[in-house]
Amino acid sequence: MFAISIMNGLVMGVIYALAALGVSLVVGIMNVVNFAHGELYILAGYFSYLFASALGVNFMLAMVIAVGLVFVLGLLIEYLLIRPTYGNDMYSLILTFILSIVLQNAYLLIFGPYPNKPPLWVSGATDFFDLFLYGNQRLAALVAGAAVITVIFVIIKKTWFGRIIRATSQDREMAELNGVDTARLNMLSFGLGCALAAAAGVILAPVFPVTPTAGVPVALTAFVVVVLGGMGSMWGCVVGGLTLGLVENLGAAFISTGYKNVFGFIILILVLLVRPAGLFGRTKI
Amino acid sequence: MAGKKQALFSAAILAGMCVLPLELGIYPQHVLIVSLFYAMMASSWNLLAGFTGQVSFGHAAMAGIGAYTSGILAVKAGLNPWVGVCIGTAFAALLGFGLGALCLKMGGIYLSLTTLAFSQILHIIIVNEYNVTRGTMGLQVPGLMEEYSKISYYYIMLAAAVLILAILYWMIHSNLGLNFRAVQNDEVAAKSVGVKVLRVRVLAFTVTSAMAGFAGGLYGHYLLLITPEIPSLDLQFKVLAMTVIGGMGSFFGPIIGAFALNILEEYIRIYGEYHVLVFGMVALVVARFAPNGLIGLWRKFRPMKSREAVK
Repeated sequence: MFAISIMNGLVMGVIYALAALGVSLVVGIMNVVNFAHGELYILAGYFSYLFASALGVNFMLAMVIAVGLVFVLGLLIEYLLIRPTYGNDMYSLILTFILSIVLQNAYLLIFGPYPNKPPLWVSGATDFFDLFLYGNQRLAALVAGAAVITVIFVIIKKTWFGRIIRATSQDREMAELNGVDTARLNMLSFGLGCALAAAAGVILAPVFPVTPTAGVPVALTAFVVVVLGGMGSMWGCVVGGLTLGLVENLGAAFISTGYKNVFGFIILILVLLVRPAGLFGRTKI
Repeated sequence: MAGKKQALFSAAILAGMCVLPLELGIYPQHVLIVSLFYAMMASSWNLLAGFTGQVSFGHAAMAGIGAYTSGILAVKAGLNPWVGVCIGTAFAALLGFGLGALCLKMGGIYLSLTTLAFSQILHIIIVNEYNVTRGTMGLQVPGLMEEYSKISYYYIMLAAAVLILAILYWMIHSNLGLNFRAVQNDEVAAKSVGVKVLRVRVLAFTVTSAMAGFAGGLYGHYLLLITPEIPSLDLQFKVLAMTVIGGMGSFFGPIIGAFALNILEEYIRIYGEYHVLVFGMVALVVARFAPNGLIGLWRKFRPMKSREAVK
């Protein structure tokens, strides 16, 4: 029981970290919180279901298409909705919140309230030291999630593009003076943030089927992780995501399943009381 | 001059609102009562978002606090609903104060995220604590009066709405309102001329939470059945959409938005449950192209007409 909860916690934690990285990237660069993050996560799940199950595309290809489409949609959202609100953080909050409700209701209309599920990548289960059996699909999700996170870290920390991103999130004007086209960077990083949500979505959809409102708890947890880890901190996302995944699953196993999503919020409030900038945050927000 | 005209106009509307329902059937009366509830919600949310620049997603949750506090006290302790509504209001104010003090120090985005988390926690607790709240089944509560009468409820809600709106109007047009705007426009500048930014924000958050609690309490005792629909993100969205479409940051905008959207909802309902989607699209377009809402559009195009008339 304990070991299974730990494993579940790790799987969820990696997904939370992935979703939170997307939020954090956008917050760091544009100071915009995308409230429709969870709906884009779900959209990717729907896309991969649509292409793989309904149209019979290979599941790997379906996932790539899904992430690509959501990336393009993210670029469009930035261009059409977010760009006119530059300098007014509150308005972008309102716009993305409205967008999330619109998307939820559109999914309800198009896909219906039923859970939809793309095919599994692998079948069967692995025996863990004769202690418990664990589904291969979940293990695959864990590995895939960790792989995507590693790729993101390499891109941000080691490449030229990553250097531009870090420079802009540290000092926007200075980056502009050095020739960074920040408007294009905004668009690109917003799209990238959405693509990370989509990556989390396609990885988790085979385990947890998608419904129109299934994105809400994931997005909320991603926000909690971002605040917990400190706005804009990448390591904060990873540590915060894993912590939350573990706490939720252990709490669900040993205290109460109904309150699974509350534990994270309680941690958040405790952390905010003690350290308002988050675990890894800069003291000035 | 303009103030006098506005006052006359408001008085005429109010007089109309007093007489109007007498001519109407039960169903339009119900629609008006619900509209009045939304007018209270949207106007008080507007004080927060439109005047102090804090986008809270916990306004519906505060209405839920008011409704459930009063409802549970009435059902479990047999308390008079009127007393219950007062206690619910006070409890919402207390929670608003605590929540405000916790996250207002940290600025805008934190407030939005924490209030969103708060409303979600509340929703989970209500659904899970089945024994106390009856979960998704809804809590049956007694009415405000011995005998149920639509028209009495209408006048109660109208009186409540007038009270809330009067307080809001006074706050916006007093020195306090100036402080609110100063904080919204430029926090640092406001601080430099001696505005106590934190205190102003917490005050606004506490007052609007109390108003939401009050409106929610009355609404619960009108519906006679309190469900988790009241403290839901859907209701929060409706309040937000009404404010944005009517005109954020203006006194009359949210009131117009509340009545317009709520009455429109009744017409769309015939074609199925599409109203949320329609509202969302409209709100998105308005927020994107006319950030000051219907009021803003009216103000923009009215002078043009009079200018043409002069020609």
